[in-house]
Amino acid sequence: MRHFTTAVLERHASLSGHFETEPFETGWASEAIFFIRAEEITGENPLLHARVQLSADGIHWIDEGTAFEAITARGDYFVRVTHFGGWLRLAGQVNGGEENRFEATIHLVLKE
Amino acid sequence: MKSQLAQAWDGTNRFQPLPYVLARDCFDRGTCGWLELMPNFTKEGFKARDSIIDKTRWGPTMLSSASFGYMGTHGSMSGLYSLKLATRPVANRYEEPPAPGSMAHAIKRLSVFRPKGLVQMEMWYAYTPEQDRIGVGEKDIRAFGAAFDVQDESYRYFVGARFLNSVNGELKRQWQILKASDDVTDEQWAYGRQGEWNKHGVDPMWYGRRYPDGRTDGYQFVSGGQQRLCYNESDDKINWIYLRLTIDTAQREYVELQSGSTVFDLRGIQPTLVQPYARIDGLLNPVVWVETDANRRVFLFVDSIVISCQ
Repeated sequence: MRHFTTAVLERHASLSGHFETEPFETGWASEAIFFIRAEEITGENPLLHARVQLSADGIHWIDEGTAFEAITARGDYFVRVTHFGGWLRLAGQVNGGEENRFEATIHLVLKE
Repeated sequence: MKSQLAQAWDGTNRFQPLPYVLARDCFDRGTCGWLELMPNFTKEGFKARDSIIDKTRWGPTMLSSASFGYMGTHGSMSGLYSLKLATRPVANRYEEPPAPGSMAHAIKRLSVFRPKGLVQMEMWYAYTPEQDRIGVGEKDIRAFGAAFDVQDESYRYFVGARFLNSVNGELKRQWQILKASDDVTDEQWAYGRQGEWNKHGVDPMWYGRRYPDGRTDGYQFVSGGQQRLCYNESDDKINWIYLRLTIDTAQREYVELQSGSTVFDLRGIQPTLVQPYARIDGLLNPVVWVETDANRRVFLFVDSIVISCQ
């Protein structure tokens, strides 16, 4: 049997400005999918940008190179990642001021 | 029989199980059914009901290699992976309700399979803050604990212990057991909020008013419960520590708490008995948790857990 886990990194989180998900240890897994469910969107033409980051220690983070296309509407989105070492997170930004918000649920799905 | 069962684990004698082993969880094999505790997502939009405690942001649980920036990979006591509970880097002052994300809480959902009697949880664990700054961060870990959430035909009750390590940056290093103060209303239990779901005595990990000297409405100090655990000299050196909690579900009493080689006799102390909740008859949920005392992530690494009964 293959090892598998679904981690829910954010549940109905209200995202605005810059954000990062909590560090998650992934050393046991060889493949990952980040899901973003954009549940509610408020503000004027808000855009949500999110990119994958990896880390040697869970403290210092580097862009992995994989990124979501800009999210502008409610719906479900994902990106796939492989060969990432011991840690993964998403870093992102909602454009505009505090009034631009995405309510989002974020999953990290890992498999070995 | 005890010895045979203990040695069947991995050739060591580091557990002292009761005759019937209900769970023997080594986290090299996966998460073994332990996941973060969450509220009931039963409202419109799969939201949880409003509460003074936002449990939806409790920190994640994960399989950890216990790796550090300048130490490398610690691994676990049994192998490579432990179950890690990680808070978010946020804390209120001790006497306030716990901040969203300031705790991480793992649960394994079980039910009874033996007649009432002795039930026991043993674990090997380590604790440390995130090594995101220099110095020794021991005082940034507020507390960690282990307990059972039990419901029989007459009562629901929480029976367990926490190590109160630090209060607003002052080291306390003292064991407490879960036992609510008698003269507390449901509303006071929920920090004064009306209409909260939980009853007085339920979920003392985060309910029950807290006082600056470390007391709370949800815990009682263990007599002689001061203890200096092996924290080590820097935040990236973790030592595996033994904990055993034995309870008696026939008497609805505490029996013993063992931390390292120290045994605290708790026989005769009764947890707070609450009217049963709906649909959880026969519940026997072991739980473990950790809470940060500073705006800093803190971690509880659990190498292995054995749940056993008479």
